[in-house]
Amino acid sequence: MTTHIHIPKLNVGKREIDVFPYWLALLGAGLLFGLTGAFIVLRDGLQVTGLTNQVPWGLWISIDLTAISLGGSAFVFGVIVYLLRVKRMEVIGKLSVLLGFLGYSTAGMVLLFDLGQPLRFWHPIVFWQAHSLLWEVTMCVVLYLTVLMAELLPVVLEHSVFSEHPWLKKYPALGKAFDLLHKLSHWLHSIGPVLAIAGLTLSLLHQASLGATYSVLAGRGMWFDQSAPVQFVLSAMGGGIALLFFMGVIVFRVMRPGMVDDETLFDVARLAGGVTLLYIYLRMWDWAVANYYSFDTLVDMQTKALDSISPFSLTFWLGQILLPLVGASILLAAGRVRNFRLLMIAAVFPMLAALVTRWNYNFSGLIASITYDPFTPAIRLNSYAPTWVEFAVGTLVICYWLLMFSLAARFLPFQSEGHAHAKHK
Amino acid sequence: MGNSPEKQNNTGSSRSDFLKVAAATAGAVGLTQFFSLQTLAGKDLSGGEPSEGPQWGMLVDINLCIGCNYCTYACQAVNNLAEDMRYNVVTVETTTNDEEYFLSRPCMHCEEAPCVHVCPVGATYHRPDGIVTMDYDLCIGCRYCQVACPYDARVFNWETPVEDSPRSPSFGVQEVPNRPRGVMEKCTFCQHRIDASVERGLVPGVDEAATPACVVACPTGARVFGDLTDAHSPISKAKHEAIVTLRLREELSTAPRVYYIPPKSALTEES
Repeated sequence: MTTHIHIPKLNVGKREIDVFPYWLALLGAGLLFGLTGAFIVLRDGLQVTGLTNQVPWGLWISIDLTAISLGGSAFVFGVIVYLLRVKRMEVIGKLSVLLGFLGYSTAGMVLLFDLGQPLRFWHPIVFWQAHSLLWEVTMCVVLYLTVLMAELLPVVLEHSVFSEHPWLKKYPALGKAFDLLHKLSHWLHSIGPVLAIAGLTLSLLHQASLGATYSVLAGRGMWFDQSAPVQFVLSAMGGGIALLFFMGVIVFRVMRPGMVDDETLFDVARLAGGVTLLYIYLRMWDWAVANYYSFDTLVDMQTKALDSISPFSLTFWLGQILLPLVGASILLAAGRVRNFRLLMIAAVFPMLAALVTRWNYNFSGLIASITYDPFTPAIRLNSYAPTWVEFAVGTLVICYWLLMFSLAARFLPFQSEGHAHAKHK
Repeated sequence: MGNSPEKQNNTGSSRSDFLKVAAATAGAVGLTQFFSLQTLAGKDLSGGEPSEGPQWGMLVDINLCIGCNYCTYACQAVNNLAEDMRYNVVTVETTTNDEEYFLSRPCMHCEEAPCVHVCPVGATYHRPDGIVTMDYDLCIGCRYCQVACPYDARVFNWETPVEDSPRSPSFGVQEVPNRPRGVMEKCTFCQHRIDASVERGLVPGVDEAATPACVVACPTGARVFGDLTDAHSPISKAKHEAIVTLRLREELSTAPRVYYIPPKSALTEES
């Protein structure tokens, strides 16, 4: 049986237009623009960026962190589907695997450009320095990307083109290869629980370590924060699951009506809301510890310096506390709200919280850095403006994400296990 | 076993599912607490064994520094650096009495160097003699060391290395090979001079050919170099004679091997 995919059309006058080809053309233009920038940065090195010795981590690292956080639903749903055996989450779990894979592959791609020596990207895998947070993050991301590929392969192979295409009969080698892949995918599916445990462990490790990457650096004042690892984990779970809900509504409720019932989607929304509220609770205490109970004059000076040149505190209160609080509360009450448009708008704010947390974290300690003057320590404000090449590479990876997602949303069946097994028998 | 409860799940016992998920979430968040920051980042990964031999250190007498920047220029000539690449930096700072002074800052060669702790590939490491140095073939150019350094001492090689430093030959000639574009660089206490001196029987800190270029270039003798473990070395004597020495950002427990004699104006206020 094949899944019936309903394709949304745009009504222009009396005509119904499928915008998909135009959308692909737009993404293609973005990719082309991005590839130009990518070529330039690989040819000329990082001198083409706006990065300096004072602000060495900029736009790309922030995109990288955000992409990883928005892939945060995959490990949660790996556990829900394979370990807790919540059957009705199975189909939505497949979408979470896709979102996880896209988030992590996007992050890996943008990091490659951020290295001064891109061809040495494999060094951390061979030359271990186990005390480095960044080494641990690299290893976890590499291993977890492997886990995600193992989890994604069966989802992709569900498409009938990989089992029914005439070429598979015409070219026996191709048919054999796909038979093997199908067998592999069956085996991978059978070891799902193992993959889920591996995914959970690896994800918790590196999502937390991404916060710790910054928070172990005592010399940067406001970065030195014991709760940053947990903030990063919780905001990634909240933001990632909110994205899963948002995309879940599009992929299932709009495009594949009947595959996932509304109650299940409401549960996803509730989960996103609940975790986000947990994050906000922790974030409030963290704020109080850093700014209210503490007498750390340097952190206070940093905050004031940042506020003098940017809406730093405002983005904290709006982006990390108030808007996510409203959004998360609406999501938590999904069963009563029952309005998918409102819920989708509400789901934007946990994602915003994940994004703002990371962008503020990255830039705060670098832009407002503490001097080493022994008698009158001061805050030096550094400036950073991304160049067009940085924006181009950013566009490249975002368009990659959107393109892959659009193709998957349009063509992958996302069948539940029952259907998949029926087809094989 | 366990089949029938699973089937019941299909009919939608959403409350128990939600509880399961909530419990799993709480457990998962708890898991992150196992990995304490201290375990991950607190311990030293020194490249060599704590050696019996010399431990090199530097002392800068701020009272003698006239801000001429010869130390910076000599460093640029020896390491073949472009105009805008500086391992050593001289800045104008003020004491609490608002008196200005020159603060000349090489790499601190910290005993607990944040850059060594954070490097994901071990490209930045401690030599047995305490020098924090680089393996330029390992460096991937991630710039985490630069972000971690509290002294702003790490420099990234953004551009292709220059043929000849603008400071050469006035302040010296190139003594070390060029580093490729895209790696982190740093002050090495002129390790090449120290290493060569051992074979020739010279003493770093005493013989000019064995002493870091910045120390040799200083026209006022504000910089002293030598073995911190040897009581008769120039640095140990100078440290002994100085009333007070300080190290930069000592509160961070990085234990720098570069000491400063603070300006007199700063001391009078404190006493």
